[in-house]
Amino acid sequence: MTGLLGSTVLEVAIGVAFVYLLLAIFCTTANEYIAAILKSRGALLKQGILKLLAPDQPAPQAAAQDPVVTRFYSHPLIKALMREGSHPSYLPARTFAKTIMDMATPGTPGSITFEELENGIKKDLPPGSLQTTLLAVIQSTNHKIEDAQKAIEAWYDDAMDRVTGWYKRKTQVWTLIVAAILTVATNADTLHIARHLWLEPSLRSQFAEAAKNSPGPVPAMSVNYPDPNDPTKVEVTANKPGTASDQAADTLGLVLGWKDTGDNSAGTWLQRIAGWLLTILAVSLGAPFWFDVLNRFMNLRSAGKSPEEKGKPAAKRKMPPVTA
Amino acid sequence: MKPSILRTAAVLLAWVSAHAETLALKKTFVRQIMNRATIGATLEVDVHPNKPHTIGKGGDDGDIHMAGRANEIGLPLVAEIVNARMETAATDLLKSTAPKKVVAVEGVWRIWFEHLGKEDQIQGKTVPVPGTSNPDHLFEIHPITVFGGVNLLSSFQPIPKYNAYPAKTAFPFYEKVAASLQSTDTAVMIQSGASKYNYAEFVIELAGNPKPVDDGFLVLANVFDSNAEEPVTTAPRRMVFVKGTPPADQVKDLKKGDTLHLLGIPRVNLAEVYAIAEIAGKQAASVTLPYEMIVVAVLPD
Repeated sequence: MTGLLGSTVLEVAIGVAFVYLLLAIFCTTANEYIAAILKSRGALLKQGILKLLAPDQPAPQAAAQDPVVTRFYSHPLIKALMREGSHPSYLPARTFAKTIMDMATPGTPGSITFEELENGIKKDLPPGSLQTTLLAVIQSTNHKIEDAQKAIEAWYDDAMDRVTGWYKRKTQVWTLIVAAILTVATNADTLHIARHLWLEPSLRSQFAEAAKNSPGPVPAMSVNYPDPNDPTKVEVTANKPGTASDQAADTLGLVLGWKDTGDNSAGTWLQRIAGWLLTILAVSLGAPFWFDVLNRFMNLRSAGKSPEEKGKPAAKRKMPPVTA
Repeated sequence: MKPSILRTAAVLLAWVSAHAETLALKKTFVRQIMNRATIGATLEVDVHPNKPHTIGKGGDDGDIHMAGRANEIGLPLVAEIVNARMETAATDLLKSTAPKKVVAVEGVWRIWFEHLGKEDQIQGKTVPVPGTSNPDHLFEIHPITVFGGVNLLSSFQPIPKYNAYPAKTAFPFYEKVAASLQSTDTAVMIQSGASKYNYAEFVIELAGNPKPVDDGFLVLANVFDSNAEEPVTTAPRRMVFVKGTPPADQVKDLKKGDTLHLLGIPRVNLAEVYAIAEIAGKQAASVTLPYEMIVVAVLPD
């Protein structure tokens, strides 16, 4: 070995990180599809809202039938966010607070005062935990209607932080399941991959080259300047989840897959399972993590490149569109 | 595998897993500055060195910096004078500035994830008194354009004998910095890992005409290395020119297709960050960190 920079170890690390990145991108994409099919974001948001509006109802089915919940989902501000009856996956705090305030003061058109809101909560909302909580929330302010609205928004935001936590946990479980299926299906055994890369210099170079053009984490959005003469006007478009390029997939094929080596001893299987577990844990760290790791490895590698390698001229000119 | 390989791999992994940091900015603040070049602040100067950096390469850039606090900004902050050896009036004033003295400062706002700390930075939270002239910070006023009444617009010129990072080194790095963006009703959050390559030398080809803003010009441009024909950016990037500086005087009459050889420093492009974070809401969006270049000098062709 010739020191850390530009060393075999670094190239093996690049190869392994590259494999993890591509598998993690696949997992992210699969997770997006699973979330879309199960409508899990919207479902969890609804669970969170039910806990806020019907805290006295232990069962979700009963909570969904609660009169306050029914009024909430019948309110025009909320109905406007429903698409074909589906629960929205995001509900702004301001909309939630305005809906609750309007529900509490049905007989007061236009702007309301703090006292009207307080009386409305006492008279127009049924007695119970929701009424007590809302009164406690608004009465902790300095009795101005704007502050009361902000307090309701903060109460909602706190609840949504918990919903975000549920969603993360659910996603982590799905990520682990998808990572496990993918790892076993492709026989992505970290120990085998590392050994393979360690022993074959040409394979290492191939991976390092492929890693240079790595697809990166699937950006959720991309930015566009519609008028190239006005860089103050920015447009954002949501991207569809991307997949690994054909070249990257071909490279992966060099180290993944099931090949009959004729060695089915217990030791080999134990080593394989250990390699799978390493891969599953690594892939579950996510594409952004491995993208960042790979970049750092690549930077380390380029810091140790030979002058000849560094000085390679660019081939030809490309003029990309005005898109960031 | 040999144990030594595993050990080295573990060290590598630990090194690359260094934490990212989150910067939380008020939306009102972001909207105020995102399409501006500069910002003004009443800076309480806490710590400053008495002489500028030496000039060579990397961090030896000839700047002189100061750490301080400003209510208008509400974040740990450092302000820097470029070409400090030439700006004797300003550096003399800084040298005579006693700790805690308040000085009116104007300059280019700059957010860059270079000096990460151990804690996330939240705008408006009490800023600790810095113990050094280069504390953990993500926000800078760099370069300064006015320091205590001393005009520094002429400091926007090449730094003699300084070797900036070539575009082919710096820009591929800038283009791939991973970040996560999200927003609440009142704040925008940017999470990113450590960045580097402060000063870069590059050639731009304007992709549009310069757009005048209150305090300068913004222009989209493709970026090239001095000796290459292929752009080093995947798409045109926004360039920031400060009104009244020699680079701004040169760019204002240029048109799409014209070129300039420049020295610049990167900063987060808050217009793009804001646009993405607004759409992302509380679901963090994984993106490459939006950035733009502050133009410090026009270099000879």
